[in-house]
Amino acid sequence: MSTAETSTAKAATAPTGRRPPLDPRGPRFGAAITAVLLLAVVFLSLTGESAAALALLAAITALFAWGALAGAGRHPYGLVFKRFVRPRLAPPTELEDAAPPTFAQAVGLAVCLVGLVLGLAGVPGSIGIAAAAAFVAAFLNAVFDYCLGCQIFLLLVRFGVLNRGGRPARQA
Amino acid sequence: MKPLEAIGLLFALLTATTVLGLLWRARQGRVSRVTGDIVTPADVATTTAFGPAATLLQFSTELCARCPGTRRLLGTVADSRPGVVHVDVDLTHRADLAKRYSILQTPTTLILDGAGRVRARVGGPPNRADISATLDAIAQNTATRTLTTTPGSSHVDR
Repeated sequence: MSTAETSTAKAATAPTGRRPPLDPRGPRFGAAITAVLLLAVVFLSLTGESAAALALLAAITALFAWGALAGAGRHPYGLVFKRFVRPRLAPPTELEDAAPPTFAQAVGLAVCLVGLVLGLAGVPGSIGIAAAAAFVAAFLNAVFDYCLGCQIFLLLVRFGVLNRGGRPARQA
Repeated sequence: MKPLEAIGLLFALLTATTVLGLLWRARQGRVSRVTGDIVTPADVATTTAFGPAATLLQFSTELCARCPGTRRLLGTVADSRPGVVHVDVDLTHRADLAKRYSILQTPTTLILDGAGRVRARVGGPPNRADISATLDAIAQNTATRTLTTTPGSSHVDR
């Protein structure tokens, strides 16, 4: 979870990260494409096209890795959004911190990686199940603006996974 | 599995996810009136004094898409009402507070009355009208209590 560590290592006070803020519709646009692709993986794995399902999930995993490492703003879908979609929309009412959608990419990466590894190890159904789980998150993100990254982050905080040692001075 | 059966399963997955999303969205920002414990600034490790009329106590983390917007909204509401203070508590380094106040999502906002007692709880980004209505109700409650207890009595409502 290196993404989590780097994002919490930044100043505790400022909500703005080191990455520039985003139009919140960008990550949702990307999540819609991801959701469709993940649904295709589920379909392929249900109809027994295991090789194709594996290949497509591997491609989606690589895209998640890109988003998690380069930041949600520099994800290929984000660039497509900036170049082709955003000029056709009204300006955003407010910009959003890039950290939550970037963390969500890391969560998606983790889920898909588990599916890939189990699938390669020959565990039946693991590709389809991982794709279905990731689909639920991507669909909720795209359609309902649900932030799974935010939720998982809070859970990690509650379970003490993050910042076990430090308890810095508080601000109001 | 035959393609048609697979499409049926996909449809079921899509429907279930949509229902989940609708249920989630219906709960977002809903104000539930509760009567909880008294919270003091020290409890949530802040130096900001609570409001004499009411306090909007927001819980956030560093990684929270809707927290900054909520912070702005609650800040505006607090500024427009005398005696109302907005306090934003970052839980990122305070897992103990998240557990103590059972914070399961961010932002979560507790609305405290003038005595610091929890009167309402909002999960998710709140809307302005509901927050104002809750603050009105708290103000009214306080007013009637003051009226009934003040004349000629040394009783302190605590």
